[in-house]
Amino acid sequence: MMPAVVKDQLPLIVLLLLVLVVSSIDSGFMAPGNLLVVTADTMTLFLMAAGATFVIMTGGIDLSIQAVASMTSCIVAALLPKLGFTAVPITLLAGAVFGVMNGLVTTKLRIPSFVATLAVSGVATSVAFLVSDARSVLIAAADRDAYLAWAVGDLGPLQNEILVGLVVLIGLTLLYQFTTFGRFIRAIGSQEQAVIASGIHADRIKILAFILSGTMAGLAGVVMAGRLGSGSPTLANEFLLPAIACIIVGGTAITGGVGSVWRTFIGALIIAVVRIGMTFIGVSVFAQQIVFGLILVAAVAITMDRSKVATVK
Amino acid sequence: MTAVLEVRGGSKSFPGVKAMDDVTVQIGRNEVVGLIGENGAGKSTLLKVITGIYQLDEGELIVNGQQLALASPRDAFDHGVAMVFQEQSVLSTLSIAENIFLGREQEFLRFGLIDKKRMNSAARDELAKVRLDLDPAKRTADLTFAERQMVEIAKALSLDSRIDGEVIILLDEPTSVLEQREIDILFEIIEDLKQRASILFISHRLDEVLAVSDRVYVMRDGKVVHEVKADAAELHDLHQHMVGRQLDHRYYREQRQRTAGERVILEVGGLGKEGQFDDVSFQLHEGEILGIAGVVGSGREALARCLAGLEPADHGEITVDNQPTRISAPYQAVGAGIGFVPSERKVEGIVAALDVAENMSLAAKGRFLRRGLIDFAAERETAMAWVDRLGIKTPSIRTPGGSLSGGNQQKVVLAKWRIADSGVMILDHPTRGIDVGAKEEVYELIRDMAEEGLGVLLLADTLEEVIGLSSRILVMKDGRVSKAFEAPVGGKPEQVDLIEAMV
Amino acid sequence: MRGWGRYRSLAPVLVLVLLCLIIASINSNFLSVSNFIRLLSAAAIPMVLVMGATFVILMGSIDLSVEGVVALTAVAVSMLVANDFTSLDLGFLSLPVALFVGGLIGFANGLIHVRLQIPSFMTTLGIGFACVGIATAILGGYTVRISDRGFRDLTLGRVLGVPFSVWTAALAVLIAWVIQERTRIGRWVYAIGTDEVTARQVGVPVERTRLWVFTIAGVFYGLGGAMSAAQLGQGHALLSQGRLFTTITAVVVGGTALSGGVGSVLNSVIGVLIVVVLTNGMVLMGIPPFVQLGVQGVLIIIAVALALDRTRLAVVK
Repeated sequence: MMPAVVKDQLPLIVLLLLVLVVSSIDSGFMAPGNLLVVTADTMTLFLMAAGATFVIMTGGIDLSIQAVASMTSCIVAALLPKLGFTAVPITLLAGAVFGVMNGLVTTKLRIPSFVATLAVSGVATSVAFLVSDARSVLIAAADRDAYLAWAVGDLGPLQNEILVGLVVLIGLTLLYQFTTFGRFIRAIGSQEQAVIASGIHADRIKILAFILSGTMAGLAGVVMAGRLGSGSPTLANEFLLPAIACIIVGGTAITGGVGSVWRTFIGALIIAVVRIGMTFIGVSVFAQQIVFGLILVAAVAITMDRSKVATVK
Repeated sequence: MTAVLEVRGGSKSFPGVKAMDDVTVQIGRNEVVGLIGENGAGKSTLLKVITGIYQLDEGELIVNGQQLALASPRDAFDHGVAMVFQEQSVLSTLSIAENIFLGREQEFLRFGLIDKKRMNSAARDELAKVRLDLDPAKRTADLTFAERQMVEIAKALSLDSRIDGEVIILLDEPTSVLEQREIDILFEIIEDLKQRASILFISHRLDEVLAVSDRVYVMRDGKVVHEVKADAAELHDLHQHMVGRQLDHRYYREQRQRTAGERVILEVGGLGKEGQFDDVSFQLHEGEILGIAGVVGSGREALARCLAGLEPADHGEITVDNQPTRISAPYQAVGAGIGFVPSERKVEGIVAALDVAENMSLAAKGRFLRRGLIDFAAERETAMAWVDRLGIKTPSIRTPGGSLSGGNQQKVVLAKWRIADSGVMILDHPTRGIDVGAKEEVYELIRDMAEEGLGVLLLADTLEEVIGLSSRILVMKDGRVSKAFEAPVGGKPEQVDLIEAMV
Repeated sequence: MRGWGRYRSLAPVLVLVLLCLIIASINSNFLSVSNFIRLLSAAAIPMVLVMGATFVILMGSIDLSVEGVVALTAVAVSMLVANDFTSLDLGFLSLPVALFVGGLIGFANGLIHVRLQIPSFMTTLGIGFACVGIATAILGGYTVRISDRGFRDLTLGRVLGVPFSVWTAALAVLIAWVIQERTRIGRWVYAIGTDEVTARQVGVPVERTRLWVFTIAGVFYGLGGAMSAAQLGQGHALLSQGRLFTTITAVVVGGTALSGGVGSVLNSVIGVLIVVVLTNGMVLMGIPPFVQLGVQGVLIIIAVALALDRTRLAVVK
């Protein structure tokens, strides 16, 4: 048996090992500049996964984050020329509204979140198409510099994406650690009926988790739009499964009750290092996905605590 | 007597409890053996050993003359031991026939496919044995509870023609969900069955056990304490063996029982829920321990759950502290100051992933908040104080609630409601599944609550417990309060009085 | 709600009929023979995929490897028949290869899930990834073009005016139905989905059943992969995009519960038809393509809300 501390910090240890392995093969990887670029590139994935972590910790799932992020990239790109910076909070609000929809469908109609968020994805994609007229919506360089510099500029040697990521990491960690909301999230994932019996509005907590997830997906969409200089209804495609993967690889249980935003942060970095590391090592771009899939399975095999679930489905 | 099944010197321990201690029982050919004992006496452990769910630590299990180590219920089944489960094992999405032959479809295979016609007709034969005239292709979801019970018995009987040795059927509390008419049929069937099988009949209703059994074993504290031929048995005598002691006043802390105060803290008027209970009215005073007695199906569990907001009542009024209160969800009950200690501790009581302190402050609303954030210092202090006061055995207050023993978990749940300042405590089988030492501690805690002016509504595990602890007792029967007893120290009602009102 | 409860199982059929009536009343072309055949043809491949997924979901598990298996088997098939990438020309012999490869991946899913005790969600997600990866790695972004006309008739050829793919799908449904109704695996799937602990106690070989079910699902996906290649006349790694969510949506809309035990392959047939009719109908009704996904989402929610009996679940996750 592994000592508890090792087991608890396994994702971090894996991350450090991976960095060492990759840099032993190509010392260029360890260069601070390169590490910063890798981190900055990972932040949009982290943002999408950060909010969804809360939903997964309650034992649910949010499959709409990719569609919502794409949608918000279109919204922010479309609104920036007219509204300036105000477009940003409005876009985040749009993300939150989709979180509310997910939450209401799951809790009030009692439809499993897997299906509910899948269905709401369709609505988000439609909105994205309507806003963008099914095209890429370009963001003028001037608008970008004026209103999105906070997300895509640099602060000294640091990319602003990293700063945004850190602010979110710290903010959500505080929320998770120091408020009853965070505690209830964990409790619901562990034993929802006991939480309800203790007089807590479990449904409200779950809706809040979806709102958080939607808002963070919205933020990811804004940052992506800033980085690419455009919004598009398919911008975040192929981000959903990696986002869920980084939550799980970080050690948050898909069955709920165990996890943290910090773990998701580490998980996102692991996935980034694996991806980029493979390129460094010379694994063909095309073969990378194979390794990626297997790592996902291996990560769960190692990190999952099977003693807590009676049957594995 | 030739024993078809025998447990010889069997022992079985769990962490902290010796559930079975040197138990020896025999079931003879074509004999009906009764097994009685209070909750926690070791009956279900013995059953689980016989059906292969548990394996003996010491001793032997001999079935049809063969010494065996049964690995699973299926293994037991193949050796002729069939259990009719108390919690029903009929799967609702399958048909009657499919349930009867689940896992044994082999004999109906033709070219790898199940011959449904043959399976259904075989099932019809089995149903006839229990005088059930149902279409075997019917899904069991559409059956009544009693019919499903009969299907289980039919399933057990299907072994009859399919194994070499004798069939032994274990009936675990089979009457608890049946109507009198169905119970009569069941008893007739058992008479029939005797020709073909041997039967172990478990029940807490002594009269029933005596009515059907040839011989009776009494278990207590994991041991077989008495064995008697049914026709030579005295009801009173059996009961004495079951309880094991003259009612001891100190056991239930009766010296600490006080007269209830004047102030009414909970008043229920004409409360009802369709199909569960109706027209229930009572008052709960400060410092009062009000026991509610009744058999399964008397409606007392549903009443408790309605007061806790876990199920909505249909009509009637609830008044807490003279305030008319609407309770249709737990948060309303908690808000009104009603705390609920559930019988299913692991489902509605403890949150396994939260630590002891977090579990304790779960219902405390804003008590441990400072400027919206959790005040860890205050939480810690309070948790430590309650761990101390209740004698909760835990490595630290940051230990996950799921890793404590049952008794300590129960104390954590009690502390949760004390910290939430609940004025009314509903205790649904508060001593279920915890060992004797922890039980006595819980009794102390219940007395503490009454002394501090809380009102306690108690659904006890045994009649003895409800009589010992309560200062007043309501008996429920068929969803209504059939009788009320005052239970002052020295003037406690007898168990027979309660039973009379219960059935 | 008690009254509705009895008819709840008919909800998917009701939704399908209503949908057809609404669409037909707006555009009578919906009822034309040619549109009918178009509908069936569009439903063929989803139907085959859904047959596999239904068993997995009935068992209370989930299979997210659909796209991966379809992509990989489609690419494999496209390289085995006459094509512009390899010099092979196996013709219809490639079909059993596809079924075998699909079954093998399904078996791998089952083995990892059962032996390593990893939730099926993660197992199949990872394996699905890996399969798309293998397909990509083999082709390196290339698209294989199939030149074997005979093989393409596997879907395009017509019998009695109906495309062969529809007949294939019908056969798949029949096989799935027989598996469900008349084999032990089929019955055990329900037992496990309803109450795994009890099923195990009465002697249902739970692990073996799980292995079988994932393998069977893989075989169906393999068939779907071969049909995809034949229909498109191509093989590339992304040809299965979107199949996963359509598949699961169809299963759920048909009334099979994600929690297991409730539903049937026939429910899924209705589910596929609902999804296909909806897509087809929105085109016929002139709903702008952009909005179609959104309408579909809303209708899925309505359909599931009607069909799912959630009263027996204490909590919904």
